[in-house]
Amino acid sequence: MDAWRKSFDFLTGRRLAIYPKTKEEGAFLHAHALARAGDLKGAVATLNGIVATAPDVAAAFEAQGEFLDMLGQTEKAMSLYEASRKLKKGLRPGAPDRPFFLRRASRATAEIASYTSVVQNVKHRVLPLIARGNAFLSEGQPAEALTDYEAALKLKPGLPDVLGLKAEALLMLGRFAQAAATFDGACTAQPRNTDFLSGRAIARLALGRLEDADVDWRHQLDLLPRELASARACVALRLADYEKAVPELERALEKEPHDPYWQLYRMTALRRLGHPISTSFPELKTWPGPLLGLHIKAMSAEELLAQADTPQWKAEALFQLGVLALRDDPAEARRRFDEVVSKAPPSMIEYAAARHELARLGS
Amino acid sequence: MFSVILYGRNDSHGYNLHKRGAISFNAIAEVMSDPDDEILFVDYNTPDDHPTFPEAIQDTLTDKAKKVMRIFRVRPEQHVHLKARTHLVALEAQSRNVALRRSNPRNRWILYTNTDMLLVPRNEKESLSDILGAIPDGFYQVPRFELPEMLWEAAFDRRDPAGNLAKLRDWSMRFHLNQVVLNHMPMRYDALGDFQAALREDMFAIHGFNEEMLLGWHCDSNLAARLGLYRGTVDTLVDKVFGYHCDHTRVAAANNKGRQTKMNDHDQFLWQVSTPYLPDQAENWGWPDLDIEEIRLDRDTAFERFAAGVGAAIQPASEPYRTTNLEWHLFNDLTYDLRHTLPFVCDQVLTYPRNSALMLVGTRADFLSHFAIAWRTMGFTGPILVPKECEGLPFDAPGVETGPFADLLRRTDMFIFEFGLATQGVNDPVRIGRSASPVDEQRLKVASRLFRQAVSLEEETRPKGRRLPRRFIGVNVIYNRFWPLFTDYVSANINPFCVQVLAGNPRIDPSMKGKVLRFRGRHAI
Repeated sequence: MDAWRKSFDFLTGRRLAIYPKTKEEGAFLHAHALARAGDLKGAVATLNGIVATAPDVAAAFEAQGEFLDMLGQTEKAMSLYEASRKLKKGLRPGAPDRPFFLRRASRATAEIASYTSVVQNVKHRVLPLIARGNAFLSEGQPAEALTDYEAALKLKPGLPDVLGLKAEALLMLGRFAQAAATFDGACTAQPRNTDFLSGRAIARLALGRLEDADVDWRHQLDLLPRELASARACVALRLADYEKAVPELERALEKEPHDPYWQLYRMTALRRLGHPISTSFPELKTWPGPLLGLHIKAMSAEELLAQADTPQWKAEALFQLGVLALRDDPAEARRRFDEVVSKAPPSMIEYAAARHELARLGS
Repeated sequence: MFSVILYGRNDSHGYNLHKRGAISFNAIAEVMSDPDDEILFVDYNTPDDHPTFPEAIQDTLTDKAKKVMRIFRVRPEQHVHLKARTHLVALEAQSRNVALRRSNPRNRWILYTNTDMLLVPRNEKESLSDILGAIPDGFYQVPRFELPEMLWEAAFDRRDPAGNLAKLRDWSMRFHLNQVVLNHMPMRYDALGDFQAALREDMFAIHGFNEEMLLGWHCDSNLAARLGLYRGTVDTLVDKVFGYHCDHTRVAAANNKGRQTKMNDHDQFLWQVSTPYLPDQAENWGWPDLDIEEIRLDRDTAFERFAAGVGAAIQPASEPYRTTNLEWHLFNDLTYDLRHTLPFVCDQVLTYPRNSALMLVGTRADFLSHFAIAWRTMGFTGPILVPKECEGLPFDAPGVETGPFADLLRRTDMFIFEFGLATQGVNDPVRIGRSASPVDEQRLKVASRLFRQAVSLEEETRPKGRRLPRRFIGVNVIYNRFWPLFTDYVSANINPFCVQVLAGNPRIDPSMKGKVLRFRGRHAI
């Protein structure tokens, strides 16, 4: 009976239609089902819906390119493949000291759809659940991710890798105490896992346990290999340990000389150490160009805050304003750092650095 | 821009391996255009007395392929610790990791494929280096298209890669070759291991291939699972490159036994993967501390070494030919033509590691002095160990070290035993019925005794850490009284008399005769 029902569901497309959470994911599955059934034009048309409503989903362009390629419309297909790659190229990955699944920059709509199909077909296996959970997490859907991770933990109770993922989902949900406790379990199983230490430090910081957080970050710093200079720099910045951050940032810049954030953070660290900073660098119109402009006085605080139109940029701007105010106006600096702490998520480098700056300023 | 990583060994893996390999090496080199590009071939566990696979087919490779290729030779001795855990003679994960560790750090990409693939850029004007240089960071795969065996075997010219790629562009449409076989994520396609392009730094971050996968198959799926997790996605390059596989199932390869094929556990290494990382091998994947020989085909080749060594040791012949004789009544005449024999002796040692220590026991002083010159000039750095029991040999020849036989045994990696007449000069006539003098007999007696001892004690006198048997090379041991002696103790093939040389490992003879021989050998009676 069950097999019969499943077959019926499959034939009617019911399972595909009811499972996905978002319109885009559903459209993805529908488009692929159409393509496999031979309706390539229908598949392209279906994906048009995603391209129109979510133009940052690179995989939609890529899938359209594939379908048009199969239709023999190679030239048009190539332009869509290129559009997909252009979108991916323009994205900055997440902080390098954070786990791999949080560094993904492109949209994960296609992966959620694909792994949904795998979850349905390859049952009782952890990989599809973990992969889809990670995709949910990078899409900012921690509740869905948590469901997948918990399902994986039912299959493999206590698996440290999944415990770490679950803890990250809890962290993103703001359930810091549970996150810290789950990270404790993961860290006990794998005490040298730098991803777990990084997550636990953030959870502990969010709970106000600054010293405990620092223990984890310092341990992470000890464990990170020398060649991961940018990751080491980020940990040092979270600790507001600028002496340590500068050489790491310089090595990161040797590898990625045009990375604006490493330039910005190096400038921040040098300023905090009271060292002279270079004012010559190529003008950068896009973010974080305005932050660099602020340091060389090419931009005012008001102009900067006006341009900071996402919560993340706002937090970055407020932090840099705090750094600039520290020497001459500690009260103003404290006000700026307080704003960072009240507005930014604890996972941001600026949040942790601001907490350390506030601690140094005294309560 | 990119390092291509391939592996294999000098054997007969599937049908017409040599042609597939040559077509593939040449075609891959053809689509390289960056000066840093390289083909890294790990020659895994080829017997020590064989050349590596690319060396064996080097005459069929283009100059460009020879120039970009670096061969890493993993010796049987380096594989032996894994032998009990696998039925395979070449291990994919270990091979690919050995190459990854030693790849050019300036290259952004690592491309994993196999020695039967042709990669065809869809835009004829683009090289694979151009393509990889222009794409964003990621983990890329392409679908594999099959090529009927007749097509690559009958129509491809090994040394015309551009022509072969042009043929593929034509055939792909004419013969409907391009069928994409889709697969579940994270594999995305079937036969994914024939094109997996990953960032070099990503491969280091995830600790390379999983070296616990010793039974063959699914290494590619495991990599896709782990890189798919690490990157969050599996990208495609189907718009840029088509990959064609020279089908070779006419004759099953060693790792293909139909439904009886042993494989790595698909469930364990794919569906139960929970992390990209392999912390248990984080420090030692790719055997970073092991000295792996690197061989080039564009310089210092085996032939160049051979020609230099033999050329330094002997002058060219001044006559069209010389004769010897194997008629039965000459059985006891132990004269041989040194200048003719030396090249065959050099041939026996050329493929061994250059730092090998070789024990030479013999009777003719001119054999040692000539061989010592050839040995050094062929680029060997290890010593020639000559037991002090061997009277009359020139212990002061370059590269020669002497000492008590028992001590030298434990330092030796391979042996040469030469059975000639100490009194023979290099210009003396050969096989004309000459008898051995008392001095000759005395020296031959010592050489025989040391031979029997060495071969009987071989297993228990191996250098520290060595697990495989050492090779014995016999000089002047065909159709004379030393033939039965040598072959009683050493598993040697039947060789033509003309080469004068036999070689092999100690015989394991469990019969009563074998036991008696070993007992006599050990106790020198």
